[in-house]
Amino acid sequence: MVRYLITRLGQALVVVLLVTVIAFLILHLLPGGAARATLGKEATLEQLAAFNHEMGYDRPWIQQYGMFMQRLLQGDLGYSYQLNQSVSEAIMQRLPKTMVLSLLSTLLAIVVAIPLGVIQAVRRNRWPDYVITSLSLLAYATPIFFLGLMLIILFSQVWPVLPPEAPQGFTVAEVLSDPAGLVLPTVTLAIVTIAVYSRYVRSSMVDNLNENYVRTARSKGLSERRVVLRHTLRNGLFPVITLLGMYLPALFSGALVVESLFNYPGMGQLFWQAALKRDFPILLGVTLIISIATVVGALLADLLYAAVDPRVRLRRSAS
Amino acid sequence: MTASNELTRLGPAPDQSGTQPLLELRDLDTDIALRRGTVHALDGVDLQVMPGETLGVVGESGSGKTMTALSIMGLLPPGGRVTGGEIRFEGRDLRSLPADEVRRIRGVRMGMVFQDPLTSLNPTMRIGFQVAEPLRVHQGVGKAEARERAIEILRRVGMPRPERIVDNYPHELSGGMRQRVAIAMALVCSPRLLIADEPTTALDVTTQRQILELIDDLKDEFGMAVILVTHDLGVIAGRADRVAVMYAGRVVETAATGELFRSPRHRYTEALMEALPESAIRDDGAHARLYSIPGLPPDLSQPLTGCRFAPRCRYVTAECRTTEVTLSTGPHQHACLHPVPATAPAPLARTAPAAPSADAGGTPPAADDRTAPASAAEPVAASAAKAVAAEPTAAEPAVAPAAGSAVAEPAAAPILSVRGLVKNYPAGGGLWRRSAGQVSAVAGVSFEVRPGETFGLVGESGCGKSTIGRLVVGLETPTAGQIVLDGTDIATLRGRERRRMHRQVQLMFQDSYAAMNPRMRVDAILAEPLEIQQVGNAAARRARIATLLDQVGLSRRALERYPHEFSGGQLQRIGLARSLALQPRLIVGDEPVSALDVSIQAQVLNLMRDLQQELGLAYVFISHDLSVVDYMADRIGVMYLGKLVEVGPAREVVRAARHPYTQALIDAVPTVTPNAEAARSGIAIRGELPSALNPPTGCRFRTRCPFAQEICETEPPLTGGVHQVACHFPLRPESTASTAGSADGVPAVNAVPSAEAAR
Repeated sequence: MVRYLITRLGQALVVVLLVTVIAFLILHLLPGGAARATLGKEATLEQLAAFNHEMGYDRPWIQQYGMFMQRLLQGDLGYSYQLNQSVSEAIMQRLPKTMVLSLLSTLLAIVVAIPLGVIQAVRRNRWPDYVITSLSLLAYATPIFFLGLMLIILFSQVWPVLPPEAPQGFTVAEVLSDPAGLVLPTVTLAIVTIAVYSRYVRSSMVDNLNENYVRTARSKGLSERRVVLRHTLRNGLFPVITLLGMYLPALFSGALVVESLFNYPGMGQLFWQAALKRDFPILLGVTLIISIATVVGALLADLLYAAVDPRVRLRRSAS
Repeated sequence: MTASNELTRLGPAPDQSGTQPLLELRDLDTDIALRRGTVHALDGVDLQVMPGETLGVVGESGSGKTMTALSIMGLLPPGGRVTGGEIRFEGRDLRSLPADEVRRIRGVRMGMVFQDPLTSLNPTMRIGFQVAEPLRVHQGVGKAEARERAIEILRRVGMPRPERIVDNYPHELSGGMRQRVAIAMALVCSPRLLIADEPTTALDVTTQRQILELIDDLKDEFGMAVILVTHDLGVIAGRADRVAVMYAGRVVETAATGELFRSPRHRYTEALMEALPESAIRDDGAHARLYSIPGLPPDLSQPLTGCRFAPRCRYVTAECRTTEVTLSTGPHQHACLHPVPATAPAPLARTAPAAPSADAGGTPPAADDRTAPASAAEPVAASAAKAVAAEPTAAEPAVAPAAGSAVAEPAAAPILSVRGLVKNYPAGGGLWRRSAGQVSAVAGVSFEVRPGETFGLVGESGCGKSTIGRLVVGLETPTAGQIVLDGTDIATLRGRERRRMHRQVQLMFQDSYAAMNPRMRVDAILAEPLEIQQVGNAAARRARIATLLDQVGLSRRALERYPHEFSGGQLQRIGLARSLALQPRLIVGDEPVSALDVSIQAQVLNLMRDLQQELGLAYVFISHDLSVVDYMADRIGVMYLGKLVEVGPAREVVRAARHPYTQALIDAVPTVTPNAEAARSGIAIRGELPSALNPPTGCRFRTRCPFAQEICETEPPLTGGVHQVACHFPLRPESTASTAGSADGVPAVNAVPSAEAAR
């Protein structure tokens, strides 16, 4: 088990390193430049050159990468001149807020999607299945900004019960103190996720309900409720674990559209604005965080699998 | 043991009178709605099961035997529905009872054991919980008591260390052990009726014997009735009191077991018994041609009139196709207008005249319109015929030295010679670590196959027989040892020569459907080997493919169709045609008929034998089924855990086995002679096949052998003349003449007509 963990973490490190290399390369191949974006249209060529020299942007990329890695090892993600704060500070300010939103919506999605998927599987090819299937396809196909706008119009204009904006608090505590403001962003984000999750739960439950062990359970004279909830549900939820593992990066990167729509200053907004302004240190920092989250998410999913499925043996190495 | 009293006390058992049937099916109809229409799976099924009796329900796939079982249990698949008739259990019609009541009856008064023990248990629940669940649900037993009861019942079904097993998960147990768990689960509430649907089909013969004996013992102990559903006539013959034969959704014949096997009345039952490989082996060892039932069972989604077996029957008259036949009355019931006369001669006597005529008049897919096209003047076919007609061995360089002791017919140089073959697989391990150990799949196997000969390789699952097949055709490379094909060690071949070698030896698979690309038409499937080997031009290939189809008895229309449009037997013909495409001299058949029903199996076996004679092919015939190997093979090699323990002429090995394992294997095979069980020599091996990861030292069978001594820790060499054995204490010396084989072999169907008396 310990050896397995060490191996997996070693692999994770390699992946993260590769991500930084690729991200670094792509950012430096982009046309334009950080200098112009930072200093504005009025800046002279000399000023630009001076900025580039000061930042090290005139050196070969491999050297720049070396410097970046050197600072990274000391825990220094760099400094954003455009935000006038260190990258880690900028991220730490927004990350918790994004996590609040993502966690709430994921939680909501799971609580709603699992029963929906189970109902569809049990009433397969009958009206509950058809209705829910149609609705989830509709939700899945609707652009999220449109969905969010519709919800805003419905619930803060036509029937004004909820604020159209997310809480603007600076800390997590402040955000949480305004629960009404969190409802619309959370629901918007959750609706698409519900559509995806319930499809997965449905198909996995349908597969499992056709398994021989379910027939055996029925042969014991168990009630249908017990057959579904005690025997099938647990095995039917395994695919959701994989989904959750894949969702972890989104928890960190934030939902760009929803954050913009509801004016919620989270990771998504940070990344979007940095991309517009070519704020390299921020872009690199956020990419790094997301890549780490991706790898850790996959690892957590595997560990969770092992915890709930006795057949899964964590081998010493994963090939 | 207190368990016994307690368990039998549980059931209220209101009806113990022997005259009232425990279960009675009256005119039962079951439909299954599919997208393409409704399949009338059961049509007017009448059956009775008396208390304490074992009823065998036998039939081929699609006959409705499993649907009968599932209808009784109310476990029909989605779309399935009982549409008519009654299911009277303990005097009450289950169809008229409320659903909750039926559920309780199903859980407490009935129990069911399913075919596939590997998938029939919930993979994420502990054994103990699953076994005791009916008690907790139906009888409100507490957690601690349920655990105790689970341990008791597991002990009763012969589970070693039940107090530890209760906390295990299913994947930690072998197939046989899981089936014991399934039986324990079905019996935990002491049901009056146990339905076992193919309970041993997925298991090895030695395990099968243990499980069938267990069900027999428990039946007496619990005083319950058993419905044993199976396709295997042998299993029924040894275990059932009465037998019902099903065909195309109907019961066609029912009688006491001995009576049915001694004198079957319905023409389908008769044909089914004649199609068994063991009924074609005469007492003198000669192999008669198998009787094969032509055609396929009817499509049950279409309206049918008359006798459903009529289109395939040898004795069909116009009347049969129009008259609805119902079961006759009396103890021996049958639904046939032209039944076998009650005082029939032994079926074997009838086989000889009847079989050829029936075969010749076969329906389109039958294998007999083959001789004429084969002589057509197509260039490829002609050369094929020539190559075979010419003395195949004359041109062979005599590279292969006379290897070791096996020198039966020194004239013919072996087409295949395997020497000291070893194959190990790394166990566990992975990319970055050395493996945890080695699985010894094949451990020093040597044998030879001569041109035109069939070498049978038998053994239970995991014995390495399939690995040998894969090694011989070059799908895997041996860890050590030599494979000499036609005088050339294939390990020395590279590139082009190696590719040419592949022409000489081809593989035939168990599941031909899985072994064909579903998106390729049959013409492309058959042309592929020719294209890979760059044989001829497009026209020559087309001609060759046409010849192949003729040889395996399929019409040319098959060329434009896809694999899913064919039945299992037809697919096996296509598979055979593909392996014949390159005119090989050796075909390795890995369980080529194991997935087929008896009547279809006979068609394929006949075809394989015909082609062997026609083309001078040699076969390595790999199978777990001793009776099929006995019918097909000239010589047999018996494998146990990667080693060849016995090699010899088929007749000698089966009728005068020298190795205790071979004898145990033979004894475990159920035969259609009802009282053969009693006459057996009694070598029954217990326990499970040891792991090939750390196989026992010395003789690998010694851990389960009743005769094992200290000396068995040293490895016995394979010794003897023609009939070799690797054993320190062989059961009998090598027989010089073929005198053996009267007492304990596999007798013909009706040779011993005294089963009824034994009951």
